[in-house]
Amino acid sequence: MQELEAALARMRSAWMAGGSALDHCPDAWRQPVAGHAEAALVALAGHASSVLFRHTPASPIEPRPLLPALALPILPDELRPLFRRILAAKGGPSIEQHLIALIACRGFAVHPSDWLPSPQDDGAPDIYAPWIDWARAESRAKSDDKSDAKAGDQADEATLTVENYEGWSWASRRVALANLRIKDPAAALAIIAAKAAHEPAERRLRLLEILETRLSEADAAFLEGLAQDRSDRVRAIAQACLARLGRTAENSSEATELAAMVEVGKLGLFRSRTRLVVKALKNSAQELRRQQLFKLVGAATLARALGTSELRLVEAAPDGTSDSIDSFIQMMARTGSDSALRALLQVMLADAAPVRHLRALAPRLSANERRTLLPEIIARDTAELDTALLVAGRELGTAPLAPLLASAAYTELSGLLDAFRGEDFRQTPKHNSLGGALNRIALLLDATGAADLITRLGQCGLSPADPRLDLLRLNAALTREKTP
Amino acid sequence: MSLTRSAIEAMAPDQAALTAAASLLKPAKWPVRARAGGLIWGECQGSGANPYRVAADTEDIGSKCTCPSRKFPCKHAIALMWLFVEDGTAFQPSDIPAWVGDWIGRRRKGAAPQAAVSAGEAKSLSLAQPAVADKAADPKAEARRQAAAQKRAQDTGRAVRAGTEDLDGWIADQLRTGLPGFLAAAGERCRRIAARLVDAKAGSLASRVDEMPSRLLALRPEERIDGAIAELGKLALLTRAFRAAPDDPDLRREVVGSETREELLADPRAPRLASLWEVLGERVLTRRDGLVSQATWLMNLTPGPQRFAVLLDFFPASAGRRSGAFVAGERFPAELVFYPAPAPLRAVIARRDASCEARDPWPETAADPYADLGEQALAVPWRIEMPVLLPEGRICAEASGAAWWRSSDGALVPVRQPLPAIALGAQIEGAVGIWDGTRLALLAAQTNWGRLGFDAGT
Repeated sequence: MQELEAALARMRSAWMAGGSALDHCPDAWRQPVAGHAEAALVALAGHASSVLFRHTPASPIEPRPLLPALALPILPDELRPLFRRILAAKGGPSIEQHLIALIACRGFAVHPSDWLPSPQDDGAPDIYAPWIDWARAESRAKSDDKSDAKAGDQADEATLTVENYEGWSWASRRVALANLRIKDPAAALAIIAAKAAHEPAERRLRLLEILETRLSEADAAFLEGLAQDRSDRVRAIAQACLARLGRTAENSSEATELAAMVEVGKLGLFRSRTRLVVKALKNSAQELRRQQLFKLVGAATLARALGTSELRLVEAAPDGTSDSIDSFIQMMARTGSDSALRALLQVMLADAAPVRHLRALAPRLSANERRTLLPEIIARDTAELDTALLVAGRELGTAPLAPLLASAAYTELSGLLDAFRGEDFRQTPKHNSLGGALNRIALLLDATGAADLITRLGQCGLSPADPRLDLLRLNAALTREKTP
Repeated sequence: MSLTRSAIEAMAPDQAALTAAASLLKPAKWPVRARAGGLIWGECQGSGANPYRVAADTEDIGSKCTCPSRKFPCKHAIALMWLFVEDGTAFQPSDIPAWVGDWIGRRRKGAAPQAAVSAGEAKSLSLAQPAVADKAADPKAEARRQAAAQKRAQDTGRAVRAGTEDLDGWIADQLRTGLPGFLAAAGERCRRIAARLVDAKAGSLASRVDEMPSRLLALRPEERIDGAIAELGKLALLTRAFRAAPDDPDLRREVVGSETREELLADPRAPRLASLWEVLGERVLTRRDGLVSQATWLMNLTPGPQRFAVLLDFFPASAGRRSGAFVAGERFPAELVFYPAPAPLRAVIARRDASCEARDPWPETAADPYADLGEQALAVPWRIEMPVLLPEGRICAEASGAAWWRSSDGALVPVRQPLPAIALGAQIEGAVGIWDGTRLALLAAQTNWGRLGFDAGT
């Protein structure tokens, strides 16, 4: 065999250089190929190589770890083509994150051959943490990146602790800490306080975001210790958390400056309520400065500078230009105490303020609060339902149909359907808008609402097979209750 | 407008379309006919290996067919609607399949054809019904025709033989002038010799040579010399085998051209096999000659010597993208007729029953896939692609990223990429791929995550 291999190599070299391989072939081949030397020799050489020799890798290979199973069942087979079609459709990439979240809310995970999170996908539902870890291991193996290399399979460890922290991969740590923070805030604080300093800035930021849940005075000492953190963003979040706790080291001159740019007004004759009034300023430079100050000053500090309290400041919805109201609400979201924040939320709703101003408050809302608020926001939102989707966050697929029927979104949907029923409906932007509108609605409705809407749309002339109904159909079919 | 005989007559492009549709009215040509609301759809076994998918809206008489005909509606759509008008109960109520839904989503309502105007021509379904042809009895004319056909066949045989000898000389020239030079100019050189082969009536051989540069360029640069040796070697084997047995049907197919579907079905030598088949996957390839080849790979789920089949169709690239007739993973009982060959592979569907939910496991296979590949190479040494069933194993990656399938026993097969990410994280219980001599292009696998399909299009 070695002789044959050597002969084949010599023949190959001859053909590389150009020339006959007859002098280089095995002796036993010469006579049979006489008369048709080169063609016959290449036939023999090619065939010998294909059946006698095997390919081998250049370096040793080992299989990667198996993709782990998840805690949720996989999407039923009959729904997977529907999922793939939604993802592959024109608007698919723009709703991918929401689609994955909706499926998780209903208690299912996507099949890994249909979708896998990327190594950087911190936005995926927590259930996918094991897959993110696996994808990161793949990515590290390809790049020879040794960071987080100690993280291995934490299947043997049921609870995250300070001692076993390094044995957990980042994605799993983050999910475990978030869950622990809800159940045992002090235990989560102890781990974060012990380990945050050893994490890169981006991860310290994620750890701090975990502390925002069930924030309390017990967290103050650790937060104050972050005043010297080398990351601006980490310091900013730490300060914001301290401001929520009523502890602030803010520059009082900035608060005074901001207080001079706003007013405290009254609303109502009897039982008048205090509210912030943010009128237009003389020029854009002043407006810009005011916006900057809203980012630097905390809610409690501003209230003090105005001679009032946080809670009094939000007895009524703020008044003023739209941008300035947004700046104020963002300040409240960043630094307002829990009680002031919720009071502001209630008055914004009660005073019929435009719901778009509530977007900044969404990150501070619990899952229950999001679900409770959603019907009212849907009913009052614009046709694009941007605020509703933002407020819903990961709590998708929970809203009943009734508020949608009273909404601007449904009015626009009806208009699009009227155009669709027209005699010569072409591929106009309106045609494409119909799919987008249906997708946004489908992400918000509960399963019963989705099924009812499909029926209504069929009565309006939309074919039940229309691919634009795919997300509604998927929603209606996902009826398994989420396993807590 | 509702679907009636009159409506069909009105919207048919011409009487010829109605006549052609009439030839498709046999239920046996429609293994699938279904309905949902005003929608009807079906699969029609035409002259190709893959059936055509046809859908129609009975309310506004819009229709869609995957055949390459430029007539609208085509004969298949007319036949489908005609069958429905004649007997709607033969259309089974069913869920609307994805390919029908895609059509509905894309079509414009009201885009159905208005009554087609054919100047002075009466269009009639009744006239379209096939009449019994009078067979003219003229023995002398028949004898002349046969003699002429025999002479043509002899002339063709001589031309083809000369063409194969020409090719052998060309192969020797490429080797003597150096393979690097050949690779650098493969496109132009192969195009020239392919044109000479076409002139020599060796159409299949010409196509194969014309596509060789694409196959070589698909290899990594360091693999192309060996790839060229393999390709030229197979050509040399083929030409020599053909000259030794020019009447062998498989060799004629590889060198001259394929039999028609009708000729194949009428050939008593053509092996037939009725079994349960699984659709492994589809490979679509756009060729340099402007044709698109559509290959649907099937696997026999009943243990036996005939494990695989490929349904092969060609259509002009100008006909646009065609959706596949089958869904990967679909299973159906069917009788296949194979093109005669030492190791039959290419086939057509003679008869097919509706798809079923059969849960038969994949056949077992030997631990060493190279043994199977070696046997195929010995049986048909000029074959470019060989299907192979792999046993249990894992997909692994080298440090360079090159992918390999590795069996439990350590056998290694290089795998074509890209692969879906899950392939590296799944326990492979069995896999099927197409081996091209250098790499395996996976079609499907059974894994701990269920069935995986691989996009094997090129």
